[in-house]
Amino acid sequence: MKFLITLSLGFLFGAVLISSQVFHWYRIQEMFHFDSFHMFGVLGSAIATAAISIGLIKRYKLKSIAGNSIKPQAKKRKPFGNILGGLLFGIGWGLTGACTAPIIILLGLKWKIGLLLIAGALCGTLIFAIIKPKLPE
Amino acid sequence: MSLLPWYIAGPLIGLIVPLLLILREKQLGVSSSFRYAGSFVLPKLSYFNYKKAKDAWQVQFSLGILVAAVVFYSFDLVVDPEIDASLDYGLSALEIYSLDNWWIFLFGGLVIGFGSRYADGCTAGHCIMGNSLFAGSSFVTTLGFFAGGLFVSHVVFPLIYSP
Repeated sequence: MKFLITLSLGFLFGAVLISSQVFHWYRIQEMFHFDSFHMFGVLGSAIATAAISIGLIKRYKLKSIAGNSIKPQAKKRKPFGNILGGLLFGIGWGLTGACTAPIIILLGLKWKIGLLLIAGALCGTLIFAIIKPKLPE
Repeated sequence: MSLLPWYIAGPLIGLIVPLLLILREKQLGVSSSFRYAGSFVLPKLSYFNYKKAKDAWQVQFSLGILVAAVVFYSFDLVVDPEIDASLDYGLSALEIYSLDNWWIFLFGGLVIGFGSRYADGCTAGHCIMGNSLFAGSSFVTTLGFFAGGLFVSHVVFPLIYSP
């Protein structure tokens, strides 16, 4: 059951990212050239909706269906990681027009491009794991 | 089907955040699925020696994303953007997914994989989830995403690629 819920929410996420063309290289370039409001609208209204929802969950102390209290945690601050990792990620986002979820979408829509992206991302993950002890946080 | 407008797409994406919290007690994120996958390739590294089970749900979530893509592809529901080829990047966009550009996607994927692990999250986990919690780490990381993207789109890409 948990699996089906998670799978369905992933399906919804994917379906919306495809229908709104967020997965497409052109939309990402358009965003970085400030030529269209579309991407800013998607990201901005997604953050606003999520923030309001979390506010309501906290205000009314809503519990999960398993009966536990919901306490979302901010990710730890890692100055070097947040800035340098963020920059590198942004470089990849600008080059490929894809962030992580769109990589998976491209695997379904244009599987050869998707495989290249996934192979690259997995290599990047492995390289990070190997050199992590030498990187400043 | 035509383009889903931002004022429907954005709130739908945003609603996934409380749904995941209420139904699964999980915070939206996608890129940890790569940590999960990597832990099977090089299990001896300390970074991969962790409670894998906590990231397993992201693999299921990613599988859902993949199923959506396969369904949209199979039923021919994908609508590509209308590309304005009078723009430089519009002209590039026409053939960008050609396999001649394999190096862009391989290298780009590599920095996405490395960067999201170093920053501890991607567009989903930081830009949407983290910013909705007003987290400083996520705000800084989002600035990094945009700085990197602006730099590569305006400076690097026009130098290395000609349509």
